[in-house]
Amino acid sequence: MRCGLLPGTLLCLVLLAVAAGCQGGGTSPPAPTAAKQETAERPSAKAAEAGSPAEAAEPDTLGLPYVYTRWEQFTTKDGLPNDHIFAVKAFGDKVWVGTEDGLACFDKGTRTWRSWKEADGLPWHVVTAVDVDPKTGDVWLGLFGGGLCRFTGGRFDHFHQLNSGLVNDVVYGLCIQGDNVWAATTAGASRYNTVTQQWTTFTEKNSPMEEIWNYGCCAGDGKVFLAVWGSGVLEYDVASDRWKDYLDPDGEMEIDLYRDDGLVHVITTGVSYVEKTMWVSTYFGQSRYDGRHWRGYYKDETGCPSDFANNVKARSANECWFSTDKGPGVLMDFPSDTWVKYTTDHAANTGKAVIQRGTKVVKEIPLGPTICHPFTIYIEFDGPDVWIGSSKGLAHAIGEGYYAGLRPASPGEPLPRAHSTTTAKEVTQ
Amino acid sequence: MTQGKARTKAQRKVLSVAAVGAAVVSAAVLFWLTGALRADPPAEVPASDPAEAEAQKTLKVIDALDAYTAPDLPLKRDDTYAHSPVDVVPYRAVQPFKEYFLEQIEYTGPGRDIPEPEHVDTVRIGFIGPLVPTVSVAVGGKSHEEEPLGIMMFRGAQLAIEEANAAGGYKARGIPFEMVVHNDNGLWGASGNEIITMAYKENVWAVLGTIDGANSHIAIRVALKIEVPMLTSGDTDPTFIETNIPWVFRCISDDRQQSYLLVDYLYRKLAFTRVAVIRPSSRYGRFGVREVRDGSRRLGHPLVIEMAYKGGTEDFSLQLARIKELAPEAVVHWGNPLDGAHILNQMRALGMKQPFFGCDRHVTDNFLREAGENAEGVVCAYPWNPDRKDPLLDAFRLRFRVRFGVGPDTYASHAYDGMNMLIWAIQEAGLNRAKIRDMLAYRTVPFVGVTGEIPMSACLDDLGDVFLTRVEGGRWKYYSREDLGIPRGYIAPRSRIPVVSQSPGSQGAQAGN
Repeated sequence: MRCGLLPGTLLCLVLLAVAAGCQGGGTSPPAPTAAKQETAERPSAKAAEAGSPAEAAEPDTLGLPYVYTRWEQFTTKDGLPNDHIFAVKAFGDKVWVGTEDGLACFDKGTRTWRSWKEADGLPWHVVTAVDVDPKTGDVWLGLFGGGLCRFTGGRFDHFHQLNSGLVNDVVYGLCIQGDNVWAATTAGASRYNTVTQQWTTFTEKNSPMEEIWNYGCCAGDGKVFLAVWGSGVLEYDVASDRWKDYLDPDGEMEIDLYRDDGLVHVITTGVSYVEKTMWVSTYFGQSRYDGRHWRGYYKDETGCPSDFANNVKARSANECWFSTDKGPGVLMDFPSDTWVKYTTDHAANTGKAVIQRGTKVVKEIPLGPTICHPFTIYIEFDGPDVWIGSSKGLAHAIGEGYYAGLRPASPGEPLPRAHSTTTAKEVTQ
Repeated sequence: MTQGKARTKAQRKVLSVAAVGAAVVSAAVLFWLTGALRADPPAEVPASDPAEAEAQKTLKVIDALDAYTAPDLPLKRDDTYAHSPVDVVPYRAVQPFKEYFLEQIEYTGPGRDIPEPEHVDTVRIGFIGPLVPTVSVAVGGKSHEEEPLGIMMFRGAQLAIEEANAAGGYKARGIPFEMVVHNDNGLWGASGNEIITMAYKENVWAVLGTIDGANSHIAIRVALKIEVPMLTSGDTDPTFIETNIPWVFRCISDDRQQSYLLVDYLYRKLAFTRVAVIRPSSRYGRFGVREVRDGSRRLGHPLVIEMAYKGGTEDFSLQLARIKELAPEAVVHWGNPLDGAHILNQMRALGMKQPFFGCDRHVTDNFLREAGENAEGVVCAYPWNPDRKDPLLDAFRLRFRVRFGVGPDTYASHAYDGMNMLIWAIQEAGLNRAKIRDMLAYRTVPFVGVTGEIPMSACLDDLGDVFLTRVEGGRWKYYSREDLGIPRGYIAPRSRIPVVSQSPGSQGAQAGN
């Protein structure tokens, strides 16, 4: 019986193979299994990195995302106190920037920079977190080894371990939630109520913090989210005063057992929550959770340039920017897995945007310089614009004509015209 | 950059100690460092020194880089993580969707282009270790019990600094290395503040430290943000390097490696089936014993019980009564030596005759003294073999004893190696933190230290051999896996089992951990 069936089976396989070959690249192959997908798509990923023209020329009918084509770069030459950018906060007509050596503020109206160092009253020069209280306009600063600081009325109010209830002076992130300032520190999270002036400490003693090494925080929808190194993400519900933890379900450091079953790793570096969707960055890959479904992102199977992400900022449930060590990885459209990678070739003074559907390169757009450095550390949205802090300067992507998601693009239809890139100096002049 | 003249009292003390030490150390014993201490790399690389040849090659690449380019150098790739046998890896019946730590993490940031300072008075290397405990409200007593370990670690590092200075200091230019010493008091993440002080105020080029797992984690998070190389010679917590930080290194075999050997000995060699664990509730106890617990379960012999105790406990009757009830065949303690000795003595007093096993921290004279005759036959895992016949080790022991009046222990020996690794990297790379990192990270030739060969894995961890030690005739005697004929589980390359299909969203069902 086996002998009788074999020739027929072989014939079918041959016919299927021929049919598949005739289809060429015009039709997507059946979704491979996860393990096979990894192997099968690697060449494509490599081609994407190399900017393969063959891939770039492949037609795509889903539509195209918005691509930032106008960029400007800011460094110490333009007025920043330091090029190592740790945090950015856009608020009104100001952009506040925390650097390794001082605080800076960009006035978008006058296009001028002002900066503060220790000689100007800043309590400590390393500013790792910035947020603005929308009720008061007070600027809150997280100082790396210097505690917290409120910049208000031209003076710096300093809160640290020895003069306040701040749990630790090494502050990685902060966020404003109602009347509260939350600080993610290396030895727990602190909450300061600016009205009652009460401090609350959250550690393993009163929250599900397996480890107390907080890294990032964000607030929204009546909740505060903490990215905790070694403890995944903790969600604090303000109304009920209750915690919920999000961990890597396999509980192992060296593997991610199943895809899309939870956080890709418990060592988290950032969290961003918007439209009831949580986005998480790690040094191992990235995660998205919409309250029901998890999705993990690795460079081998997506358009994210690296698994090592310093931070994350989501614009919506469908759009998220990851600050990776190889440039921003921008998921522009979650449903279609459409990514945009921005790179800069400093030697040639040029840049590039690469649109990818998963690992497949859909389009490459030559640009002027985009990001200042591939080692990106912080992302901030400013209306349609985006600010990207890196180890070597601050980039500003101007979102003129920005649109969310994809726009239908018939084959052959050109993308929105790439604007010429101008430097900060040129714009100022 | 010119480093400030102001020094703390501790630093002045270290410097004066360094001067005295330099006088008593013979430069002849520094052949270990010969490559590192040359004033300038020779134009032609001697074929007999592959480490030097590799270092020059690396230097050539990274010296040519601007701020925007990462080095195009081969990254280390491991077939398996931590030489894990297939039967002790987690979820061995399922092919994980992703396996980490198999490829070396890059540092793609800037920094390599920063020129060396025109003038420095000293070349500063940070040291952080548990030297002096403080009072802790949180733990209700001393902030830690690790000062004997920290002091030995300090001495090992100090000797390395003194010897480097006796041999001419930084690039033989007479610029001394200076160890900037900070106490790791273990309170409320204080180690983070200490690294910040070292990096921003004292301008260290690299940091050696520390021992406690939690404090080390806090320190490396800071080191990552500041971008300063940090090497531990005393923290054996496996998760130390499981953080994927490109600035972090370790020169001591971790608890995972040691646990694998102990588990193999317990189950594959001695054929035990019922083992109990007792450990402190500290992070060291929780994480240190993890691979013993998991390994036992994965080999088909789940622990019969795991009892925790609070730090500072002296009466273990509650824990031991529970363990005794279950009549285990062996007891493993993963904690500090005096706790171990007390537990062992109380076990024997209760009539419990089970063999006693422990972690490397037991391997001290204190344990032998405190446990007395009960210590005989105790077996512990150990990260190296101090009984090894090695002129390098013998000479080190002699110099250490001359210098400090006592013999070096494991913390001193590993700190000596660790500090020498940092000195080597600084000598090769120059005064640039990113390049110092690169020299350590891209080195594929194992370091040769007094503790033996130190081969670096893809995640920049020490993958050197581990040993067991047994108390025989009142002293510790060391055995390799081969010496004891301990079978080893099969170590498969990456694709260790047939691929199990997984599609997005699938959860698989049979994946016992």
